[in-house]
Amino acid sequence: MGSNRLSNNLRRLRFENDHMTQQQLADKAGVTRQTIIAIEAGKYAPSLPLAFKIAQTFGISIEDVFQYENEQS
Amino acid sequence: MSKLQKAAWFNLVMITVCFIISIPCLFFLARVNAKGIEYLLTCFIVACITTPVFYMLYRKKSFEAGFDEREKMINRRAFSCAVMGLTVFLACVCFIPFFVLGGQNVVKVYYLPLIFLSTLFAAQFVHSVAILIQCLLEEEDGQ
Repeated sequence: MGSNRLSNNLRRLRFENDHMTQQQLADKAGVTRQTIIAIEAGKYAPSLPLAFKIAQTFGISIEDVFQYENEQS
Repeated sequence: MSKLQKAAWFNLVMITVCFIISIPCLFFLARVNAKGIEYLLTCFIVACITTPVFYMLYRKKSFEAGFDEREKMINRRAFSCAVMGLTVFLACVCFIPFFVLGGQNVVKVYYLPLIFLSTLFAAQFVHSVAILIQCLLEEEDGQ
Protein backbone atom coordinates (compact mmCIF):
# COMPACT_ATOMS: atom_id res chain seq x y z
CA MET A 1 0.00 0.00 0.00
CA GLY A 2 1.30 3.49 -0.84
CA SER A 3 0.48 6.77 0.87
CA ASN A 4 -0.40 9.91 -1.11
CA ARG A 5 0.60 13.39 -0.03
CA LEU A 6 -0.01 16.80 -1.54
CA SER A 7 2.72 19.28 -0.65
CA ASN A 8 2.78 22.95 -1.61
CA ASN A 9 4.96 26.06 -1.81
CA LEU A 10 2.26 28.48 -0.70
CA ARG A 11 4.24 30.02 2.14
CA ARG A 12 7.32 30.63 -0.05
CA LEU A 13 5.19 31.99 -2.89
CA ARG A 14 3.40 34.40 -0.59
CA PHE A 15 6.67 35.82 0.66
CA GLU A 16 8.04 36.07 -2.87
CA ASN A 17 4.93 38.05 -3.88
CA ASP A 18 5.45 41.17 -1.77
CA HIS A 19 4.91 39.32 1.50
CA MET A 20 1.31 38.63 0.66
CA THR A 21 -0.69 37.82 3.81
CA GLN A 22 -2.86 34.75 4.21
CA GLN A 23 -5.90 37.00 4.31
CA GLN A 24 -4.95 38.70 1.01
CA LEU A 25 -4.49 35.32 -0.67
CA ALA A 26 -7.76 34.08 0.82
CA ASP A 27 -9.60 37.13 -0.53
CA LYS A 28 -8.14 36.64 -4.01
CA ALA A 29 -8.96 32.91 -4.03
CA GLY A 30 -12.44 33.46 -2.60
CA VAL A 31 -11.98 31.33 0.52
CA THR A 32 -11.46 31.95 4.22
CA ARG A 33 -8.07 32.54 5.86
CA GLN A 34 -8.59 29.30 7.82
CA THR A 35 -8.70 27.39 4.53
CA ILE A 36 -5.39 28.91 3.41
CA ILE A 37 -3.90 27.99 6.81
CA ALA A 38 -5.13 24.40 6.46
CA ILE A 39 -3.76 24.13 2.89
CA GLU A 40 -0.36 25.55 3.90
CA ALA A 41 -0.14 23.11 6.80
CA GLY A 42 -0.95 20.24 4.42
CA LYS A 43 -4.08 19.39 6.39
CA TYR A 44 -6.50 20.09 3.57
CA ALA A 45 -6.17 19.17 -0.10
CA PRO A 46 -7.98 21.84 -2.14
CA SER A 47 -10.34 21.04 -5.00
CA LEU A 48 -9.01 21.37 -8.54
CA PRO A 49 -10.83 24.69 -9.23
CA LEU A 50 -9.44 26.19 -6.00
CA ALA A 51 -5.92 24.92 -6.77
CA PHE A 52 -6.13 26.57 -10.21
CA LYS A 53 -7.44 29.78 -8.68
CA ILE A 54 -4.52 29.91 -6.23
CA ALA A 55 -2.01 29.21 -9.03
CA GLN A 56 -3.60 31.97 -11.15
CA THR A 57 -3.30 34.38 -8.22
CA PHE A 58 0.47 33.92 -8.34
CA GLY A 59 0.50 33.83 -12.18
CA ILE A 60 2.18 30.42 -12.32
CA SER A 61 1.15 26.88 -13.23
CA ILE A 62 -0.54 24.55 -10.78
CA GLU A 63 2.51 22.22 -10.68
CA ASP A 64 4.63 25.08 -9.35
CA VAL A 65 2.30 25.48 -6.40
CA PHE A 66 1.27 21.93 -5.59
CA GLN A 67 3.32 18.73 -5.78
CA TYR A 68 1.85 15.26 -5.59
CA GLU A 69 3.95 12.62 -3.88
CA ASN A 70 3.07 8.96 -4.07
CA GLU A 71 5.15 7.12 -1.48
CA GLN A 72 5.30 3.37 -2.01
CA SER A 73 5.94 1.34 1.13
CA MET B 1 -12.72 32.64 14.29
CA SER B 2 -14.36 31.66 11.02
CA LYS B 3 -18.02 32.06 10.15
CA LEU B 4 -18.53 28.31 10.48
CA GLN B 5 -17.08 28.26 14.00
CA LYS B 6 -19.24 31.22 15.01
CA ALA B 7 -22.30 29.43 13.61
CA ALA B 8 -21.36 26.26 15.51
CA TRP B 9 -20.97 28.14 18.81
CA PHE B 10 -24.26 29.98 18.21
CA ASN B 11 -26.00 26.70 17.43
CA LEU B 12 -24.56 25.07 20.55
CA VAL B 13 -25.73 27.90 22.80
CA MET B 14 -29.18 28.15 21.21
CA ILE B 15 -29.92 24.44 21.31
CA THR B 16 -28.82 24.32 24.95
CA VAL B 17 -31.12 27.25 25.77
CA CYS B 18 -34.04 25.52 23.99
CA PHE B 19 -33.30 22.27 25.83
CA ILE B 20 -33.11 24.04 29.20
CA ILE B 21 -36.47 25.73 28.51
CA SER B 22 -38.22 22.61 27.19
CA ILE B 23 -37.26 20.07 29.86
CA PRO B 24 -38.77 21.90 32.89
CA CYS B 25 -41.89 22.60 30.79
CA LEU B 26 -42.18 18.92 29.99
CA PHE B 27 -41.82 17.91 33.62
CA PHE B 28 -44.38 20.58 34.57
CA LEU B 29 -46.83 19.08 32.07
CA ALA B 30 -46.16 15.62 33.43
CA ARG B 31 -46.62 16.80 37.03
CA VAL B 32 -49.97 18.57 36.48
CA ASN B 33 -51.05 15.56 34.41
CA ALA B 34 -52.40 17.88 31.70
CA LYS B 35 -54.15 16.27 28.74
CA GLY B 36 -56.47 17.20 25.85
CA ILE B 37 -57.05 20.97 25.46
CA GLU B 38 -55.08 21.77 28.63
CA TYR B 39 -52.09 20.01 27.21
CA LEU B 40 -52.41 21.78 23.85
CA LEU B 41 -52.67 25.20 25.52
CA THR B 42 -49.55 24.58 27.57
CA CYS B 43 -47.71 23.31 24.48
CA PHE B 44 -48.78 26.51 22.68
CA ILE B 45 -47.28 28.64 25.45
CA VAL B 46 -44.05 26.63 25.34
CA ALA B 47 -43.96 27.03 21.53
CA CYS B 48 -44.37 30.81 21.93
CA ILE B 49 -41.19 30.79 24.01
CA THR B 50 -39.10 28.42 21.90
CA THR B 51 -40.19 29.37 18.35
CA PRO B 52 -38.38 32.75 18.30
CA VAL B 53 -35.21 30.93 19.37
CA PHE B 54 -35.60 28.36 16.59
CA TYR B 55 -36.42 31.16 14.13
CA MET B 56 -33.13 32.84 15.00
CA LEU B 57 -31.37 29.52 14.40
CA TYR B 58 -32.88 28.66 11.03
CA ARG B 59 -33.79 32.04 9.52
CA LYS B 60 -31.04 31.69 6.92
CA LYS B 61 -32.24 30.05 3.70
CA SER B 62 -29.24 27.75 3.67
CA PHE B 63 -26.86 27.01 6.50
CA GLU B 64 -24.04 26.49 4.02
CA ALA B 65 -24.57 29.77 2.14
CA GLY B 66 -21.40 31.82 2.29
CA PHE B 67 -19.17 28.93 3.36
CA ASP B 68 -16.16 27.91 1.28
CA GLU B 69 -15.43 24.35 0.10
CA ARG B 70 -13.45 23.30 3.20
CA GLU B 71 -16.19 24.55 5.51
CA LYS B 72 -18.83 22.72 3.49
CA MET B 73 -16.75 19.54 3.76
CA ILE B 74 -16.39 20.02 7.53
CA ASN B 75 -20.14 20.57 7.77
CA ARG B 76 -20.85 17.37 5.81
CA ARG B 77 -18.52 15.35 8.05
CA ALA B 78 -20.13 16.90 11.13
CA PHE B 79 -23.57 15.95 9.78
CA SER B 80 -22.41 12.33 9.43
CA CYS B 81 -21.15 12.45 13.03
CA ALA B 82 -24.51 13.89 14.12
CA VAL B 83 -26.40 11.05 12.41
CA MET B 84 -24.11 8.52 14.10
CA GLY B 85 -24.53 10.27 17.47
CA LEU B 86 -28.30 10.38 17.01
CA THR B 87 -28.41 6.64 16.25
CA VAL B 88 -26.24 5.68 19.21
CA PHE B 89 -28.17 8.00 21.56
CA LEU B 90 -31.55 6.70 20.36
CA ALA B 91 -30.39 3.11 20.74
CA CYS B 92 -29.18 3.84 24.28
CA VAL B 93 -32.34 5.60 25.49
CA CYS B 94 -34.56 2.89 24.02
CA PHE B 95 -32.58 -0.20 24.96
CA ILE B 96 -31.25 0.75 28.41
CA PRO B 97 -34.79 0.93 29.98
CA PHE B 98 -35.64 -2.29 28.17
CA PHE B 99 -32.72 -4.14 29.75
CA VAL B 100 -32.96 -2.40 33.12
CA LEU B 101 -36.75 -2.67 33.61
CA GLY B 102 -37.35 -5.83 31.65
CA GLY B 103 -39.63 -6.51 28.71
CA GLN B 104 -42.86 -6.78 30.74
CA ASN B 105 -42.51 -3.47 32.63
CA VAL B 106 -44.02 -0.05 31.73
CA VAL B 107 -42.58 3.46 31.29
CA LYS B 108 -44.36 6.78 31.78
CA VAL B 109 -45.72 8.51 28.66
CA TYR B 110 -43.69 11.68 29.26
CA TYR B 111 -40.64 9.57 28.50
CA LEU B 112 -41.58 9.69 24.76
CA PRO B 113 -41.33 13.49 24.17
CA LEU B 114 -38.30 13.44 26.44
CA ILE B 115 -36.64 10.95 24.06
CA PHE B 116 -37.55 13.17 21.09
CA LEU B 117 -36.17 16.36 22.66
CA SER B 118 -33.04 14.67 23.96
CA THR B 119 -32.34 13.07 20.58
CA LEU B 120 -32.68 16.44 18.83
CA PHE B 121 -30.38 18.01 21.38
CA ALA B 122 -27.84 15.17 21.10
CA ALA B 123 -27.74 15.41 17.29
CA GLN B 124 -27.29 19.19 17.31
CA PHE B 125 -24.74 18.98 20.09
CA VAL B 126 -22.65 16.38 18.25
CA HIS B 127 -22.94 18.40 15.00
CA SER B 128 -21.66 21.61 16.60
CA VAL B 129 -18.92 19.91 18.60
CA ALA B 130 -17.76 17.96 15.51
CA ILE B 131 -17.45 21.25 13.57
CA LEU B 132 -15.47 22.91 16.38
CA ILE B 133 -13.13 19.92 16.81
CA GLN B 134 -12.44 19.65 13.07
CA CYS B 135 -11.71 23.38 12.80
CA LEU B 136 -9.42 23.17 15.81
CA LEU B 137 -7.50 20.17 14.45
CA GLU B 138 -7.01 21.74 11.02
CA GLU B 139 -5.89 25.09 12.36
CA GLU B 140 -3.69 24.08 15.29
CA ASP B 141 -0.50 24.19 13.17
CA GLY B 142 -1.51 27.38 11.38
CA GLN B 143 -0.48 30.90 12.30
